Amino acid sequence: MKKHNDGLSDSRNEYLPLAQWLQQILAITPQQPEAELASITDNGGEFGDAYHSTFYQQLPDFVLALLNNDTQATIRFAPLLFHLTGCPICHSAYLEIYDAMHATLGIDETHIPVGQLSQSMATTSPRMLVYLCRLLINQAEAVLRQARNDHTDNDAWARSLLQQAIYSSSHLTQSMLRQRALRDLVEVATLFDDVTTPAAHSYTSVLSSGSGSRHGSKTRRRAETLGRPVGQPAIYLQSGLSELEGTITQNQDILELHLEDLGQELHGRFLTISVPLGSLLEPVRWIGGNPHAIRSQVPVGEDGTLTTPLGSTDLRLSDPEDHNLLEAMFKKLDVRPGD
Amino acid sequence: MPFTAHDLRYNLESSYPALCAYLQQRTKRYLGQFAYDAYEVDVVVGHVVEQLTRIQLLGGGDHAPETALDHLSNAQFYAFLNQSIKNKAIDRLRRRRLPTSTLAELEGSGNNEEDNDYLTTVVESIWGSPPFPTPEAAALQAVSQEELRMLLKRCIEELSNAPHQLQAVIKELDEVGAGDFLQELKEEFRAQLADLELSHLSQHKDHAHKKLRHCLQKSSTNLAVLIALRLTEYGEHITGTDEMSVEIRTLAKDSLSEREVQKGLKHLVRAGLLEWHGEEIIRFSSVQLKHLARFYDEGE
Repeated sequence: MKKHNDGLSDSRNEYLPLAQWLQQILAITPQQPEAELASITDNGGEFGDAYHSTFYQQLPDFVLALLNNDTQATIRFAPLLFHLTGCPICHSAYLEIYDAMHATLGIDETHIPVGQLSQSMATTSPRMLVYLCRLLINQAEAVLRQARNDHTDNDAWARSLLQQAIYSSSHLTQSMLRQRALRDLVEVATLFDDVTTPAAHSYTSVLSSGSGSRHGSKTRRRAETLGRPVGQPAIYLQSGLSELEGTITQNQDILELHLEDLGQELHGRFLTISVPLGSLLEPVRWIGGNPHAIRSQVPVGEDGTLTTPLGSTDLRLSDPEDHNLLEAMFKKLDVRPGD
Repeated sequence: MPFTAHDLRYNLESSYPALCAYLQQRTKRYLGQFAYDAYEVDVVVGHVVEQLTRIQLLGGGDHAPETALDHLSNAQFYAFLNQSIKNKAIDRLRRRRLPTSTLAELEGSGNNEEDNDYLTTVVESIWGSPPFPTPEAAALQAVSQEELRMLLKRCIEELSNAPHQLQAVIKELDEVGAGDFLQELKEEFRAQLADLELSHLSQHKDHAHKKLRHCLQKSSTNLAVLIALRLTEYGEHITGTDEMSVEIRTLAKDSLSEREVQKGLKHLVRAGLLEWHGEEIIRFSSVQLKHLARFYDEGE
């Protein structure tokens, strides 16, 4: 063992001057790299470069190998080492993980004084829930970008992360917090979607509190024009800056879409409705089986309105958490002429 | 046991509350007088949650590869979390410029509760010292690896059109003792450098460094490095000022989307190299230009 270490030491001594010279050439930059990670709570949402994820994930194994005196560690983890020389974020994480892993050595499985811990989402800080959702969505983006870069398919993994973000967000009762938690959801879920035909109208759900009954007088009045009783649980949709242009209601298991003010060019025509996040949550059985191409059952009326079923589900809009799940899924809804 | 690493990987929704509760409990302990500052607690807890997410443990399921953390015993995993919290809390306290004595108290051994809590006890490695005196020493060894050496060699070779600059770099490498790498270069350029006089070395060295940095930036597949390079190449002087400017769409020419450009710009902002808040036109000073020309990062 001693011999091995001596060899390693010689090798390090030989290259150390070159390393220092190279660092001087490359890294004499004036910035003071933040020692801590770019954190969502610190800076409001940036998660750093997506392509760090592969390296970051290797840090615990690399650190453990070093702590185990594994003389081959630097060879096995050579690409990670290259990355660490130039990446202050991962380097900082490396130092932290090294220290924290070091603290685990020699610990045996006896008493673990963790005390009584709260174990319910209801008592978990909403800020930490928002934070988790955003981290998961950002992680999903990192996974997708890395997969595209590596020409691999990690769609299922990214999808799983997004699902967990949606399910976690459903425990947030305040709409503003849910809005923040899922801010990047649509963008990430449709990151590499190939949309060839632009939508005639693109709607987004207006996040509401409770079971989805909004109480604004304008909304109430507009809701009446959409042909449904005021107070019935619904998901409200809007397009652009307009106040309200559609709703989704539930008739037993069936989710129904109601749209109004559709353009003249769509009158009398069938529509193809796309719910880009529709494949994220499985409890909805979409009409036609494809949430990206749901054909309206009737054409748009001459008054520019449309009411058509979208699919069936066991979720209930009257249940606050189910409502929040469905609302997240309808964060984007596109319609196109279907003929 | 409230939660395990396995729970966090496979049952995140049900185990996250317990994780948060545990991290908050430990954070409050280490934050001392800031224990009831909700922002500080969030920053510390959030930091560890972010780390676990990036390691791909949180919600990773069967998709994310297992790491050493998955193979820790429960007690070790809690010790890992505890130490991570402790380090971040100390970091926050330092930022708040607490007196050193308070920190010393925090980490001191006179606390009975601390004595009884073996999770916070520093434990010597049963395997002895690690092969590197510090983690940085391990990272430094990176340059001995072949890929970076080859890249560096290619960039030095590009100096062959300017023999004095090549000579300046080789002399510099000679002074720092670059071993067999230097021998390879000397061998390759023996004839070219044979009759050259040593003059104005400092000036040639500066030019050579500039070219080397440019070459390394050009060779990089890192998006932020590419954007830094384009800023230095496409930026135009604003008359009567010390500033340069360039439009996002100009940076997006040749194979980049505007979204990618914005992503690269954000990275440079985070690195402290640029001030940019989403404007279509990016402005930067000549000092920033100099720093951008030196920016280099690994990876894609």
